[in-house]
Amino acid sequence: MIYQRLFLTALLVVYAVLAYAATTYEAPFSYEPVGPRAFPLLLLILLAAGTVYLIVRPGHMAEENADTPLTGHVLGRLVLCVVALSLFAFFFERLGFVVSAFFFAIIMCRLYNGRWITSVITAAVMALAFYGLFDRLLDVPLPLGVLSGLGG
Amino acid sequence: METLGYLGQGFGVATTPLNLLTALCGTLIGTVVGLLPGLGPINGVALLIPIAFALGLPPETSLILLAAVYLGCEYGGRISSILLNIPGEASAVMTALDGHPLARQGKGGIALSISAAGSFMGGLIATIGVTIFAPLLAKWAVAFGPAEYFVMMVFAITCLAGMAGNKPMKTAVASLIGLLLACVGIDANSGVYRFTFGSLGLADGIQFVVLVLGLFSISEILVLLERTYYGQSALKTSGRMMFNMKEAMLVKWTVLRSGVVGFFMGILPGAGATMASAVAYMSEKRMATRDNRFGDGDLRGLAAPETANSAAACGSMVPMLTLGVPGSGTTAVMLGALTLYNITPGPLLFQTDPQLVWGLIASLFIANVMLVVMNIPLIRVFTKILAVPYWALVPGIAIVTAIGVYGVHATTFDLFLMIVIGVVGYILRKFDFPLSAVLLGFILGGIMEQNLRRALSISNGELSILWSSPITWGGWALVVLMVVLPMYRGWRRRRTAVPSNP
Repeated sequence: MIYQRLFLTALLVVYAVLAYAATTYEAPFSYEPVGPRAFPLLLLILLAAGTVYLIVRPGHMAEENADTPLTGHVLGRLVLCVVALSLFAFFFERLGFVVSAFFFAIIMCRLYNGRWITSVITAAVMALAFYGLFDRLLDVPLPLGVLSGLGG
Repeated sequence: METLGYLGQGFGVATTPLNLLTALCGTLIGTVVGLLPGLGPINGVALLIPIAFALGLPPETSLILLAAVYLGCEYGGRISSILLNIPGEASAVMTALDGHPLARQGKGGIALSISAAGSFMGGLIATIGVTIFAPLLAKWAVAFGPAEYFVMMVFAITCLAGMAGNKPMKTAVASLIGLLLACVGIDANSGVYRFTFGSLGLADGIQFVVLVLGLFSISEILVLLERTYYGQSALKTSGRMMFNMKEAMLVKWTVLRSGVVGFFMGILPGAGATMASAVAYMSEKRMATRDNRFGDGDLRGLAAPETANSAAACGSMVPMLTLGVPGSGTTAVMLGALTLYNITPGPLLFQTDPQLVWGLIASLFIANVMLVVMNIPLIRVFTKILAVPYWALVPGIAIVTAIGVYGVHATTFDLFLMIVIGVVGYILRKFDFPLSAVLLGFILGGIMEQNLRRALSISNGELSILWSSPITWGGWALVVLMVVLPMYRGWRRRRTAVPSNP
């Protein structure tokens, strides 16, 4: 409950920042009565009202969340997963899809309790198969990165 | 009669070899995605948009693909609910209530076949409903001006919150967040950059695919990571697979009633399959006077939600096609897909793109038949897929998600944005905010603001235009009803709770 209130308070701060930003939105010349500012401000006011209501009366949580409590161990894994995703995004163009996806898939397989050997094989197959499927068959261009010398 | 002619034309579109093949692939993919634990129709449809686009499918074919996947997921979702007791998505929660006990009693095969038949009937009833009601509503909706549209959108949002059962305020906040996210980027009317904070990547707004995949795919990956520590194992199906005549007679009326209920719940913007299955289950539970074993394996308790959620899935196509207002999270995704093709859904769609609309409706019929034919004999194959371990599944989902997002603009900025959205989505989900409401808000946000501003331009800033026609009066009346309804329910709950306390 306390976490939820903290989160909601953080949301209120975000609204305040956004509302401050929104007050500066002024159309240089206007041919309509409303302008770009009114609608976001209206939403922010409604959002703030709703969030304050929830801080006062948070209500009960669904059972789905009750039977999977967040322990420190799980939380650590979640952070690792997000870090892995971010690294994947960071290296996506730098190393190219095949290489970055290979390492990313190894980390992900390990995170979800795959064994080392199966993880490496799965990752290699996935990286190559998805590259072939999307870049070659489906015409979604994917960066080759460090491998750009090899393929063409 | 005119409708029948159009429907015939629709069947002409739907039975071209390409579209038939697409429907078949869609139903197969949908069933598989739906039965994978944790993946529901929104994930399935969202992951397929980039692929459909990349394949260069014409709009009606890709819409047929997405609709077939949607129906397939509703079929597939029941398998993991019944055998694993893990509903793939919210609308399958009710199915698990009676389905899983049946499977534990060794009647898994019967449960699967009767729910497949229920889904089929639900889909059939609702598709007939779509055929009858969609053209009528479209004809009527042509009279809508911007003010009427705005009221309609307000109704959709309040309806979403009002029907959300125990958490109306959280749903309202979630949909407002969605509306706000839609404001990001260049304002179309004035050219002002809103909430971009100088970032070029945000200048053209948050891309729809980025938002959907972030909210549903990334947050799902994180949820699945938690679950690897609370593993479950699938029950085996053994014994008789097919239900018999006696069982069919038992659920006959349940199926018919739930199909109709599901269809109408599906039409209501925002209510969708989750509400439909809950309402059908609750009302059948109340009506079952003779050997009521709801909760520990009653066939009626299984058939009711399954029929209703398939019916609602079809029913939610009605507001999407006629008003351009999605009836559920999944149709919101489909609506987004249509806009990628530069098609604006709305009443005029019936005149400008009849082959698209009627092709879609006809393919709903076809996909439904395919699903029921496929589901009964192939059930053993599908249950095998449940054994796919997370370590093989999740990296695959993650990589396809990343490709889908990268494919939109070919920038890594979108990948980072997706991760941020995913983490925020995960937190929202942990605190029990419904993510599909965020998505619906996002889809409605742009049109809602445009219509409001257009209406006020017409009236020169006079707010009274928003309540100046009979249609808007009706709209506001519905809005008030939707605001009062949860309050009334809360009041009644408190009142009935008091006497039970000694």
